[in-house]
Amino acid sequence: MVKEARDEIEKVIVVDHLAKNFEITIKEAGFFGKIHSLLKTQKKIIRALKNISFTINRGEFVGFIGPNGAGKTTTLKILSGVLYPSSGFVQVLGFEPWQRDEEYLRKISLVMGQKNQLWWDLPASDTFELNRAIYQIPTSKYKESLNELVDLLDVKKILNIQVRKLSLGQRMRLELVAALLHSPKILFLDEPTMGLDVVVQQKVRDFLFEYNKKFKTTIILTSHNMDDIMDLTKRVIVVDKGKIIFDGLLRELVSKFAKEKIITVYFSKAIDVKKLDEVGNVKRFNYPKAVVSVSREVAAMAAAQILENFPVADLTVEEEPIDEVIRRFFRGEKDLSG
Amino acid sequence: MKKYLTVFKISFAQEFAYPINLIFWRIRNIFQIILLYFLWSSVFENTSGEIFGYSKEKILTYIFGIIVLKAFVFSTKTNDIAGDISRGDLVNYLLKPISYFKYWFSRDIASKSLNLVFSFFEITILFLVLKPQVYIQKDLLDLCIFLFFLLLAVFLFFLILMLTNLITFWAPEAGWSSQFLIIIILSEFFSGAVFPIDILPQFLQRYIYLTPFPYLIFIPLQVYLGKVETLVLYKSILVSFFWIGILIILLKLMWQKGLKRFEGAGR
Repeated sequence: MVKEARDEIEKVIVVDHLAKNFEITIKEAGFFGKIHSLLKTQKKIIRALKNISFTINRGEFVGFIGPNGAGKTTTLKILSGVLYPSSGFVQVLGFEPWQRDEEYLRKISLVMGQKNQLWWDLPASDTFELNRAIYQIPTSKYKESLNELVDLLDVKKILNIQVRKLSLGQRMRLELVAALLHSPKILFLDEPTMGLDVVVQQKVRDFLFEYNKKFKTTIILTSHNMDDIMDLTKRVIVVDKGKIIFDGLLRELVSKFAKEKIITVYFSKAIDVKKLDEVGNVKRFNYPKAVVSVSREVAAMAAAQILENFPVADLTVEEEPIDEVIRRFFRGEKDLSG
Repeated sequence: MKKYLTVFKISFAQEFAYPINLIFWRIRNIFQIILLYFLWSSVFENTSGEIFGYSKEKILTYIFGIIVLKAFVFSTKTNDIAGDISRGDLVNYLLKPISYFKYWFSRDIASKSLNLVFSFFEITILFLVLKPQVYIQKDLLDLCIFLFFLLLAVFLFFLILMLTNLITFWAPEAGWSSQFLIIIILSEFFSGAVFPIDILPQFLQRYIYLTPFPYLIFIPLQVYLGKVETLVLYKSILVSFFWIGILIILLKLMWQKGLKRFEGAGR
């Protein structure tokens, strides 16, 4: 009983049979098309989310992945309270997000890689002061949060420089400070590393990892950056065409969705690549090494075949690398379930 | 309340980020006034009496009044809302525990304060250069009523501008054109910011007084000049309140409907 009750509290996000439809006006191409659509507007319903359900527990770091237009950002916007759902049940921290209760808003934060809240013409410290007033953060707590974040993100030197004079990477780090000053319970991140160089990306990732570990903040992330997903999230929710097609641990994703196994062979003598091609798909051949991908079911047989028919010095069979699987999701490849 | 005080402060600081811009904007205003001043001076060149019920002294006071009133009533930041909506930046505010309307009103007040300070400098300079005879209102009651009308004007303009900007929810590309029509043409023209409304034909005036526009500049200035009869005064208060009520209802309705439409897409 007690344990069950605690489990209930731990669930910070509950989504049940959520659907979201958008109504869009179709604009016809060309001059006469434009005139025609002025006279007669055609509307089309887009079903962005179809009946999705999931729950997220306190302290989890969850990644949403899927191709463009799959419904990731729509989900994030409904969860944070920007969008109204068309139907279904959504509860975040016990609130209906779209009511945008002050109490609720004080407990969440949304950071979008492409939108900034920092005042462009002023130093970031001014925006921080504004947020302190808006979120009514007590002075002592504000100082503590600020010092902590400034330290973790290494932004002390750029606090008092006009935001417009900073690089994208510097701005992004300051955006994170601004978003976390009020110590939200849930942080929504939409493509936080978009457009950043590799070094800054890594800094942002290190920070998010640390932050999640230290403060047990629940973090929901959408990203097209594979490293974000692989470094940070244990659990991924894969969305495609408005539906959840996978929800589970990242490593399970591979065993479920990997279609192929990779055979790496080292040959002792020169071979005919064409013959190797008959066994499987030769991805790389650079004598003496060859990489062949074969479908999972026939992997053992293919390996045996290679051992039998070629002068093999060494041979290994591996799972398809995780990034390859995720890349397929980003591309929105059809028939994902193999 | 402290929230909005901080908004006021940061907005004030923001105005100084582009000092040159601000100075040019004020210079434009000064030139407009000088233009009007010489126009009316030449009208009164050959007459010593009144034209359209205005003595030279009162029309010049009217023109100087326009500087101060425009600085106070018309200076605003609220016109940035259209961009906020069409770019999708509105999301940033929606997810903060702050009232979007009060936020922009605070920013407006910051802008108004700054412009008011500037306009006092300008008036002093123009006064010294042109040495006009102006009418000083000494009646305390009239001054109080004047301040009351000023307050109504600020509210009215804020509501009108806000409504105009919310059109962007439905027509993201119309932000600038609707503002141009409603704010620059209608508000400037029918508020009396270019010429006193009572020089227009009677039948036109009757309709104009039913719109909210003359209560932005013309009526407050008339009150200052002591040209408003008691009956007209009450009627003006009534019409102003009527419009404030209507506009608030409209604004609430449009905001609710608009938000439902708002897709937060980064257009």
